[in-house]
Amino acid sequence: MHVTVHVVGEDAHEVDLPDPTYGDLIAAVDLNPHEATVLVDGRPVPEDAPVEHDEVRVLRLIKGG
Amino acid sequence: MSGLSLDPEQLDRYSRHIIMDEVGPEGQQRLLDSRILCLGAGGLGSPVIQYLAAAGVGTIGIADDDVVERSNLQRQVVHGESDIGRPKVDSAADFVAEQNPDVAVERHETRVTSENVEDLVAEYDVVVDGSDNFSTRYLVNDACTLAGVPFSHGAILKFEGQVTTFEAREESPCYRCIFPEAPPAGSVPSCAEAGVLGVLPGTVGCIQATEAVKLAMGYGETLDGRLVLYDAADMTFDTAEIRKNPNCPVCGENPDIGSVHDVEYTDTCAIGD
Repeated sequence: MHVTVHVVGEDAHEVDLPDPTYGDLIAAVDLNPHEATVLVDGRPVPEDAPVEHDEVRVLRLIKGG
Repeated sequence: MSGLSLDPEQLDRYSRHIIMDEVGPEGQQRLLDSRILCLGAGGLGSPVIQYLAAAGVGTIGIADDDVVERSNLQRQVVHGESDIGRPKVDSAADFVAEQNPDVAVERHETRVTSENVEDLVAEYDVVVDGSDNFSTRYLVNDACTLAGVPFSHGAILKFEGQVTTFEAREESPCYRCIFPEAPPAGSVPSCAEAGVLGVLPGTVGCIQATEAVKLAMGYGETLDGRLVLYDAADMTFDTAEIRKNPNCPVCGENPDIGSVHDVEYTDTCAIGD
């Protein structure tokens, strides 16, 4: 499956994986599932769910203040 | 509003506000009548406090339980060399007193916990979150969302900042709508561990202060529903749409969190965690 992964604040990544989960997309852009969430239409999707969209956004968590 | 009662010095001090049709004397009076709580008087809190005070926000609450350290001074611009070892709330209050005598500072030299957050938030019109840990971020999110108090969220690391506003309206998302639970402890680095460009919190904190001022004046469109990511390294801004999540544990259709006492604000900040 071909998915365009937009990491917010970075360039888009074109990812090709067989039957990926959303967690697989996070790993494919070299992020840890603990530090990022996948958004579809502005809402998070479960990392263990199969990918159903060909374009997603990934948002990283940061906490510093 | 307590009525327009700007004295000659205030008319002079705030003249660049008052001259704008979008603000005018009414908008300035709203600022003078407003009460804004700054959680944290550190990297983000410093510019927030500076600009809220300069703008004439009548009452600024400052909550922080830290003391000033030398390593803070590279970015925490309301504190100086002579403040090292002093409580940050005292140092910040002294800064405000020198900057603008119109502003009253309420010092809360305490760590914000589930025992005090509800009373604290209830006293203010707007909250600005400049905290540096997930426990406080989730606690503030839950308390403000449940109480319907709008709040600004800012976070920084290295060259990167994130900022958004949650207005706590019926249709507004909250922080848990995008990040339902905190990551496990230690999985996301802090500024102490990974570093932060000294000027970065200035940019992000100024955006937070801008949002708080607009909310206090009742003018403009906030970042509610949008999260801005600022990358200082390549000087770019990116925006992500964020929408209310029907499965959100605090503001969704069947929320599990009805009170901050339903959550242990440690580790992942989950129900009964």
